[in-house]
Amino acid sequence: MLFLVVAIPFVGALAALFPVRKMFRLWLLCAVSFLHVLIVASFWTHLPPSEFSGYLVLDSIGLLLLSVTSFLFLSVSIFMVGYFKHEQRRNRIFVTCLLFLLSMMTLVSVSYHMGLLWVAVETTTLLSAPLISFHRNRESLEATWKYLLVCSVGIALALMGTFFLAIAAHDLNTLFLPMILSGASSLSVNWLKLSIIFLLVGYGCKMGLAPMHSWKPEAYGQSTGMVAVLMAGGLTQCSFLALIRVSQICFKTGLSDFLTSIFLFMGVLSLVVPAVFILSEKNIKRSFAYSSIEHMGILILGLGLGPVGIFGALFHMINNALAKVVMFLTAGSVAQKYGLSRGNDVQGVIHVYPVTGVFLIIALLSGTGMFPFATFHSELMILNAAVISKHYALVGIAVICLGLMFIGIAKNVLGLVYGDPTKPVLAKKEDFFMNVVIAAAAVALVVFGLWMPTPLSKVIHEAVVLIGA
Amino acid sequence: MTTWIDASCILIVFSSLAILATYRIVGIIRIFTLQAFVLSLVPLFLHADALSGRDIMLSLGTVILKAALVPYILLWAIRHISMRSEVKPVIGLGASIICGALLIAGAFWISLSLTLPGKLISDLVLPCSLATILLGFMIMVTRTRAVTQVLGYLVIENGIFLFALSLFEAMPFLIEMGILLDIFVAVFIMAIVLNHINEEFERTSDTLIRSKTGERL
Repeated sequence: MLFLVVAIPFVGALAALFPVRKMFRLWLLCAVSFLHVLIVASFWTHLPPSEFSGYLVLDSIGLLLLSVTSFLFLSVSIFMVGYFKHEQRRNRIFVTCLLFLLSMMTLVSVSYHMGLLWVAVETTTLLSAPLISFHRNRESLEATWKYLLVCSVGIALALMGTFFLAIAAHDLNTLFLPMILSGASSLSVNWLKLSIIFLLVGYGCKMGLAPMHSWKPEAYGQSTGMVAVLMAGGLTQCSFLALIRVSQICFKTGLSDFLTSIFLFMGVLSLVVPAVFILSEKNIKRSFAYSSIEHMGILILGLGLGPVGIFGALFHMINNALAKVVMFLTAGSVAQKYGLSRGNDVQGVIHVYPVTGVFLIIALLSGTGMFPFATFHSELMILNAAVISKHYALVGIAVICLGLMFIGIAKNVLGLVYGDPTKPVLAKKEDFFMNVVIAAAAVALVVFGLWMPTPLSKVIHEAVVLIGA
Repeated sequence: MTTWIDASCILIVFSSLAILATYRIVGIIRIFTLQAFVLSLVPLFLHADALSGRDIMLSLGTVILKAALVPYILLWAIRHISMRSEVKPVIGLGASIICGALLIAGAFWISLSLTLPGKLISDLVLPCSLATILLGFMIMVTRTRAVTQVLGYLVIENGIFLFALSLFEAMPFLIEMGILLDIFVAVFIMAIVLNHINEEFERTSDTLIRSKTGERL
């Protein structure tokens, strides 16, 4: 089964390479994503056995990420059916890369070998580069270049870290996660520390943690809404999974103090830096990108704050993805309705497109973690964990930064929603496919905010035990 | 066989230094090809007494991907964007070499305090790979052209690969090939993006923009 979830999108990608009609490719993407969702849903009843002599294993942590990925691709593929009705560009490379990306992101969540994990993460980086430059204008190409170089070098450092890890595990002579975990006492501590620093910088770069975040505003600002969703909700969280694997090893070897101090430092920095920059930001997608940096900071903080924090972080992983669907898909639909170049002086969306206007407000509230959206719930859990572990200064800084983020994003979003209506480029109507996806994600956010289903909390609990802080 | 490995390590560091001191982009690509070729010989020297199929395959893979295809793609890219030499390095060539020498010294100094578990094939592997990585960073930082930045990235990768090849056998063969293939695809995509950038900038160019393009690419 595990091989199948990786292989189906791969075969789909090869099929999308053939010269077929544009709509056929979109429906192919929908079909593959739907099939993927079905298979992943079946994993929730019982986890599949390991395959390929232990390379592919699905545990509770991987299941969470895999479900998030699967959901993101389904929503994006339905959204694209609406989006490409009004888009003249060809979609051959775009859909092919999307399907390959789905295959590789699945591989990230099921790989149990640190080397294979690196290969999969690196491949996702490469596949997302052509997606960013979809519009092929000067700015998007510049953004692609920046993303490629910064992330490639970052990931190269993660490779170095993986090799250092192999040296630390010299006596075990393996990079399989379960064997490293069971032989944790024989790891050489100094090499492990060195490896952790390289892995943190490398995967942190891909995750967009400050101060390695410089590619994020450009890449999210220039790519289409769909791509930004997949990157902010999927790719960055794939790197988060890699960091979870690293912390599993650390907690097992008793390096938790060393690790948590780095996590807390990086987390606080990733909260402060976007809060400083957001106030002068005028573009809505770029301000959402800063919000993404902040959410990554929250995830890392949660991972460094003990079991309660880890529970919050894993829950936030799901909520962050859902919120990103609302945020970036709405931004993408606004960008399409008003034309790309005029992103900064549009206003009065709610008077012309009432539904999209409401979605923008929902995006503001869910993205900044307001009640009753689930992001509020999970952020509160992480702050709670910080209070429990007596990091009072950290709580203060986090609350101030979250407040600043709210002000910065609210300024942009409200300026876009209200005011004298700007005339759209073409009087396009609201699209059913585009709106239904955003609405579904918003409803899911409210539901998770008010009530957590038992299977979900059970899986998150299992995952917390696996991480073993 | 230790002598041969030592010689390869030193050659790899020298070639990185030579890249740092070269002005013409075609020349840089040639030196890089040489470096990749030397790197591909290292697995053969590792177990010279009992050469396994794995070593030969690894060596062949490195030669094909790194010493043949990657330079070919880079040469294709610079032919398409018709560019031969660096605009001007951020710091002069002389100063670059001195900085590079300092970096090499630093790498040797750092590796003194790192003790490897298990037996060593050669004492030079660790410092040389560290030095190559640092020199690669130096190339990336001091050069303004996009192609030279890609070459800097490749030099960093070579340094990491040297380290990986010579130190242990924990990495299964398939994963190592995956790593090699990833790097190749990275260069491929970078070359395509470079080409797109060039097309886009030429299409919308006026004199002002053209002067900018010159600086950026």
